[in-house]
Amino acid sequence: MNAGHSRLALVILAGAVLLSALAPWLATHDPRHAVPADQLAPPSREYLFGTDLLGRDVFSRTLYGGRRTLGVALLTVLITLLPGLVIGLVAGYGGRWLDTTLMMVMDALLAFPNLILALALIAVLGNGVMQVALAVGVAGIPAYARVTRAAVLEARALPFVEAARALGARPAAILWRHIVPTVAPPLLAFAGVTLSWAVLNGAALMFLGFGGDISAPDWGIMLADARASFRTAPWTALAPGVALSATVFAINLLAGALAEHPANR
Amino acid sequence: MATYVLRRLGAALVVAWLAMSAAFVVLRGLPGDAVDATLARAGASEAEVAAQRQRLGLADPLWQQYIHYVGGVVRGDLGRSLVSGQPVTEMIGQQMGATAALALGALTVGIALGLSLGLAGGLWPRSAAGGLAKAFASLALSTPVYWTATLAIYLFTVVLGLLPGTGGDGPRHLILPVMVLGFHTAGAIAQVTARSIREAATLPFVQTARAKGLPEAEVAYHILRVGLLPVVAVIALQLGFLLGGTVITETIFVRRGLGRLLLTAINTRDFPVIQGVVTLTALTYSLVNAVADLLYAQVDPRVRREG
Repeated sequence: MNAGHSRLALVILAGAVLLSALAPWLATHDPRHAVPADQLAPPSREYLFGTDLLGRDVFSRTLYGGRRTLGVALLTVLITLLPGLVIGLVAGYGGRWLDTTLMMVMDALLAFPNLILALALIAVLGNGVMQVALAVGVAGIPAYARVTRAAVLEARALPFVEAARALGARPAAILWRHIVPTVAPPLLAFAGVTLSWAVLNGAALMFLGFGGDISAPDWGIMLADARASFRTAPWTALAPGVALSATVFAINLLAGALAEHPANR
Repeated sequence: MATYVLRRLGAALVVAWLAMSAAFVVLRGLPGDAVDATLARAGASEAEVAAQRQRLGLADPLWQQYIHYVGGVVRGDLGRSLVSGQPVTEMIGQQMGATAALALGALTVGIALGLSLGLAGGLWPRSAAGGLAKAFASLALSTPVYWTATLAIYLFTVVLGLLPGTGGDGPRHLILPVMVLGFHTAGAIAQVTARSIREAATLPFVQTARAKGLPEAEVAYHILRVGLLPVVAVIALQLGFLLGGTVITETIFVRRGLGRLLLTAINTRDFPVIQGVVTLTALTYSLVNAVADLLYAQVDPRVRREG
């Protein structure tokens, strides 16, 4: 992993975010407007990436799709990170009994493969954008809590933390001034991994039809729609697939670079 | 070693039991199941719905239902579908073969492909083959299954006409789904293998081996003996990805299997079926990970002493 890789990743990510944010100005058509006469039109000057089965503009849907897909992923990451951090810190720093109990619950949840847990939660929560973010977000909590706890336990054993304790610093002060800065780099790297899962699994639940509004522009939904048309009109699957893969590729590259950063070695 | 085996398997069973209980609490604790949905759609009165719930034992307090459920699980009874009334174990039995074939096939492809890519990337990180292997692995980790499956069907079925695409049950229909899911399973295996081998190559004993003049092939063998250890663990963890991946793969290739059973059950809110599939998955996953830990301890005694 070198600086060139990180720069490439940042360029791709910035591009994806910018194109999604500017969708209302860049889009050439209404992403939901169906023109039956123009269905499955190949890419042309009028429709840059062609049209889908309902005659909607794939280019505009891909731009708007980025807003929804990336927006859901960001929300998902927040839903994972905050409780995951708190549980991990409390378990790693709160004493043996709390640690054992919390980690037992986390291990029980980790017994489910990630996507299966998200699906079980969707079964209870029902369909919708918020539901997908919540299901994928909660499914990510146990892994994040475990990684946080492991980092905290490692930091607690560091000589300067032990020295601070020996000098009689208050636990809260040790936690805030010594532990948190020490565990921040590995946790940031794992946040990158979490974001990449959030994008892939969120879009997977959308693909499987749990996103509620099925006509919404969304990379997962576009790929689901494309199942009926890609044999004769491959362009319907091309743009959302490339957008999704490039974004996840860039996130993975950055997460890898963070993990190999000197602060994490 | 014997105590370690018992302790590790015991821990796996406890975790699986906790997972089952978590699934029970979450899935049964909330209102609105298939009985409500199906009967209400059929125009049944509230009294009729209540009578049906009574018959199915759904009106009992939650703890009674839980004891009843656990008792059933111990006897190998996962309850009955709220929609069809069929025993859940029977429904799972009918679908398990298709999913097991897909998962085992993909696991085989994933291990073979992942190990070869990982070896290339780990032993020759600076060569073209190593670079290509790394690029391939990161592609497998970045692209979603539901997209590569679409591309694979387009290439092998539509353009080349070599393999059947969606639908169908025969062995030829298994090839594409197995290749696609195996490709994605290989990603993480390749990455961990390459990293672990590169790290093993920096250990002091490798320098010693070179210094005393061992041929490079024998040095590589020494590196591999140490570097391949963590791969067992990552393969077991990849099974989790694989079990989730079968749901998507079965959907896109329109195949029968547990994934489809689960999705149908979610859409009809058929909680006993969801619970059965989800619990079985958790049990399989935690037992496989326990066995992987045991294998690891078998080859690396340091693990037993720590555990």
